[in-house]
Amino acid sequence: MWRVTLRGLVAKKFRLALSSLSIALGVAFMAGTFVLTDTLGGVFDGLFTNTTQGVDAVVRSKLPYEPTGGQVSRDQLRPPVPESLVDVVRDVDGVARAEGSLLGYALVIGSDGEALQGQAPTFGLPWYPRSDTVNQSSEIVKGRAPRAPDEVAFDIRTFEDGGFRVGGPARVSFQTVPPREFRVVGAFLFGGSKDGPVGATLSAFTPATAQEVMNRVGQWDLIEVRAADGVSQTELRDDLRAALRADGLAADFESITGQQLADEQADELKSNLSIFNTFLLVFALVALFVGAFVIYNTFSITVAQRIREIGLLRALGATGRQVNRAVVGESLVVGVLSSVIGIVLGIALVPLLQGLLAGFGIDLPGGPLVIATRTLVVSFLVGTVVTVVSSLAPARRAARVPPITALRDQALDPAANRRRYLWGAALWVVGAVILLAGLFGGASGGDSALLIGGGAFFAFIGVAMLSPLLAGPAARVLTWPARRRGRVTARLASENAERNPRRTASTASALMIGLTLVSMVAVLAASLKGSFTETIRGQSSADFVLSPKGFFPFSPAAAEQIREELPDATVVEYRIGVIQVGNDTVNVLGASPDFTEITDIGLRPGARRDAFARGGLYVEAPEAEARGLKVGDTVEVRFPDGPGRVTVQGIYAKELPPPFDPPFVLSLADWDRFPTAEDVSVSVLKGPGTTTREARRVVERAAAEVGGIDADDLASFIDRQIAQFDQLLNLVYVLLMLAVVIALVGIVNTLALSVYERTREIGLLRAVGMTRRQLRRMVRGEALIVSAFGALLGLVIGVVFGFLIVQSVSSEGITFALPVVQLVVFVVLAVLAGLVAGIPPARRAGRLDVLQAITSE
Amino acid sequence: MSRIVPEDPVSVPSPSVTTAAARAVDVTKVYGQGDTAVHALAGVSVDFLRGQYAAIMGPSGSGKSTLLHCLAGLDRVSSGQVFLGDDEISAMNEKELTLVRRDKIGFVFQAYNLVPTLTGLENISLPLALAGRSPDPEWLDRILTTVNLADRVGHRPNELSGGQQQRVAVARALVSRPEVIFADEPTGNLDSRSGAEILGFMRDAVRELGQTIVMVTHDPVAASYADRVVFLADGKIVDELAGPTVDSVMDRMRRLGD
Repeated sequence: MWRVTLRGLVAKKFRLALSSLSIALGVAFMAGTFVLTDTLGGVFDGLFTNTTQGVDAVVRSKLPYEPTGGQVSRDQLRPPVPESLVDVVRDVDGVARAEGSLLGYALVIGSDGEALQGQAPTFGLPWYPRSDTVNQSSEIVKGRAPRAPDEVAFDIRTFEDGGFRVGGPARVSFQTVPPREFRVVGAFLFGGSKDGPVGATLSAFTPATAQEVMNRVGQWDLIEVRAADGVSQTELRDDLRAALRADGLAADFESITGQQLADEQADELKSNLSIFNTFLLVFALVALFVGAFVIYNTFSITVAQRIREIGLLRALGATGRQVNRAVVGESLVVGVLSSVIGIVLGIALVPLLQGLLAGFGIDLPGGPLVIATRTLVVSFLVGTVVTVVSSLAPARRAARVPPITALRDQALDPAANRRRYLWGAALWVVGAVILLAGLFGGASGGDSALLIGGGAFFAFIGVAMLSPLLAGPAARVLTWPARRRGRVTARLASENAERNPRRTASTASALMIGLTLVSMVAVLAASLKGSFTETIRGQSSADFVLSPKGFFPFSPAAAEQIREELPDATVVEYRIGVIQVGNDTVNVLGASPDFTEITDIGLRPGARRDAFARGGLYVEAPEAEARGLKVGDTVEVRFPDGPGRVTVQGIYAKELPPPFDPPFVLSLADWDRFPTAEDVSVSVLKGPGTTTREARRVVERAAAEVGGIDADDLASFIDRQIAQFDQLLNLVYVLLMLAVVIALVGIVNTLALSVYERTREIGLLRAVGMTRRQLRRMVRGEALIVSAFGALLGLVIGVVFGFLIVQSVSSEGITFALPVVQLVVFVVLAVLAGLVAGIPPARRAGRLDVLQAITSE
Repeated sequence: MSRIVPEDPVSVPSPSVTTAAARAVDVTKVYGQGDTAVHALAGVSVDFLRGQYAAIMGPSGSGKSTLLHCLAGLDRVSSGQVFLGDDEISAMNEKELTLVRRDKIGFVFQAYNLVPTLTGLENISLPLALAGRSPDPEWLDRILTTVNLADRVGHRPNELSGGQQQRVAVARALVSRPEVIFADEPTGNLDSRSGAEILGFMRDAVRELGQTIVMVTHDPVAASYADRVVFLADGKIVDELAGPTVDSVMDRMRRLGD
């Protein structure tokens, strides 16, 4: 039977190539994703090994509690260590050197006046003048190291990007002190790479200056320690730990080895990387799912076409099992082949993927490609298994072909169809239930995503199994206008689509999946954007809003400057922090006490605004109820620097306007308990004595002088936020495109097979006078029916999915919106793409030789 | 250049002086090249007259189907000329040939004559539909009556018997009032009763509707329905018989076999 299988495959190279392509694309995406994230992981590992070069151990404060993840990092939460600790450490046995270190906010203003702010953070650090300094991660490559308080050195990329020269001036902006002029004395290479730590901008100052400008007077972030000769990293760490215990400091401070520090830092970045990996893999899986439909279809059609041949094999004594194995064997060959092609393609496409992400503002550092065994094994297995599993149902059908079929035309088995529809309905219901459970069941993030994904998977298969019921009516409705005008090609196209509704439906289903996801995303995006705009407009009366140009918060100096220059304005700063309330670690929004004058949060009567100015909390109503808190209650909390008590000064009923979502608002009067003071946003409401123009000038100048800040009025702030959101959205659309492309490959494949199957009929049509053009139009018509059917089905399901998801988060203040124009555009594009997919098979049909076609078997 | 506008051979007399509906002039058809070349037609010249029912006979491999395909514009000749009426179809391009087939030629094949997705009636009017025209109801009615199909034409081919399917095919061949109907073994797949029916209809079409039919067959009974039989052997016309009977045809065939 193997020989029969292989012969069959070789005889149909075209079909083989197309169906392989559908799986290979999905596998390529998967392999590419793995290689990309592994490569990045490798880059990060190397980077942090380099950046901790020479550091054998560090001493630092203990993390008061784990942050909730996302908005606040561990480093932002960890309190500083007192400078005096350096001397303590230096006296420990086994310590060769110990130096305080810190990494703080320092934004470099380029020589053109523009802040050097990308999406990477901007750091300042101390530079010890000695060449045997503990941290050996940097080396001067131009000029010299800073020695005086007004001197600065930059990493070489910043030096070049900013257009600086040795001896020239540079302006650097900080958080707690006003922007300052420095003299550039040199440039250095950090971590052995020009990109530095993931593209961060670095400025080096003398240690004392670094402490002064970065809010660490008398303090350091941590102490870096070099071991004496013959002392290993672990021995040094253990010595340091013992010393801390002996001095009674072990409750507040800890020591880890340099290697541990490097691993920790790499892991923190890599945990973001794994989110990114998962994000991309989801699209790869969607692509494979669509590819599975194409494979299923191809095998169903070829089994149907070879039904006489199979009947003959059976009549000659082949068992059903042997026939089954022959079909599965064929799919195994296709699966192996496409997986191998896919892996090679995926590795080759990594630069393309990087370029694509860079095009959407996600700049990733490059490095030698890391091709892990896992990548090869997983991609290969997934591709092969998906292909083989997709062929199981057609193989089973082939095995059931009775020998008598060799002698007569096969008739459809309506009982099997009914059973199929029942199964389809059952799967659909099960899928819908799982999906709804995921949406409304209150499961936690990861679990609910799994439920939603799994439910959608089953629901999709259910719909695909049920959709043949709709294929006929859909074909008739879609061709109705053309048929009314007496187009016989439209009539024939419609009949061709109807004659095998299962084939039409499963080809369309592949496209349906892509369109479902695209329309769902469009609905979600429109709902989010609409609600975002509405909430901001409804709750905020700010005239101007400052927001960071990148992802990182900015210096409070901007707000300070505006306050000074517009004394009658209300200037509100917002910060994000993490505290512990009881045993829960929660995010808090830090806000200037008078923020309720700009932002309406539905503060309930009885709130003590005056007291809030001296410190305290506002609590969101549901949270207050859950914790049994009322105005005037004192809450025991833990701040980063230790335990504290805060008073509830008010209860608010409205959601905070996006992007803020914590259920607690802490008065900025209490913010001195946090190690950093960076603003994530500043709102300005001008006073009656100032014109909008004056206010705008002040706000824009403050933003420009501090740097790295966008200053907008409310309307353009909303536009900017939406534009940022749209960029991510477009990336999602582009990634979903792959699923659509694979579905189009499926359309090409199905139609090519159908054309092949109907060779004689096409010959007849041509003989009795159908022109090539009419023939091509007929085949394209069928492509149009399939794609329009799939697109419309996907549209409907996608909108319903979107609606359900919006309903599930309606408590977050998000309301359903239908982006009609956009959805229409998507459907039209999908149908046009389907028409294009119909061109190759149509040409193939047109090129058939009439005489050969009518005399073919 | 040929005129592709269909003419009506019955009501509008052809301006041409010739009475041949289809004509082959010194036609050869060679498959392959050099030593392996096969001369399917080795210089055939023959006229098929208007209003005549002609049969082409010959042993397997004599070239009879090839001649029919060349006459009908389904195949290209290697040399020589083929005329349909006054139009030289051997000089036409693919598109012109298609339109000639659509408007001036009717076909009846041995099997797979019908588009399975269309009803009998739709199959019948297919050539007209492809031309964007609808059938003349009176003419259609007359054809349906002639082939005795009026009550079955709403059905699809798979709901019709083999004989009914061939009758639909004959009706389709008639619907556009073509200059010639070419039939390739039209009764080859039928039992003798259905076959006789079809042959009768075809003869009626010639006698009553003034059609011209050229039919390839190997069956002497089928040939006996024709007005004239042309015998082919080894790609050449070797004999001819007017007013054939079963016996006279069998007699000639036997002599060809010698």
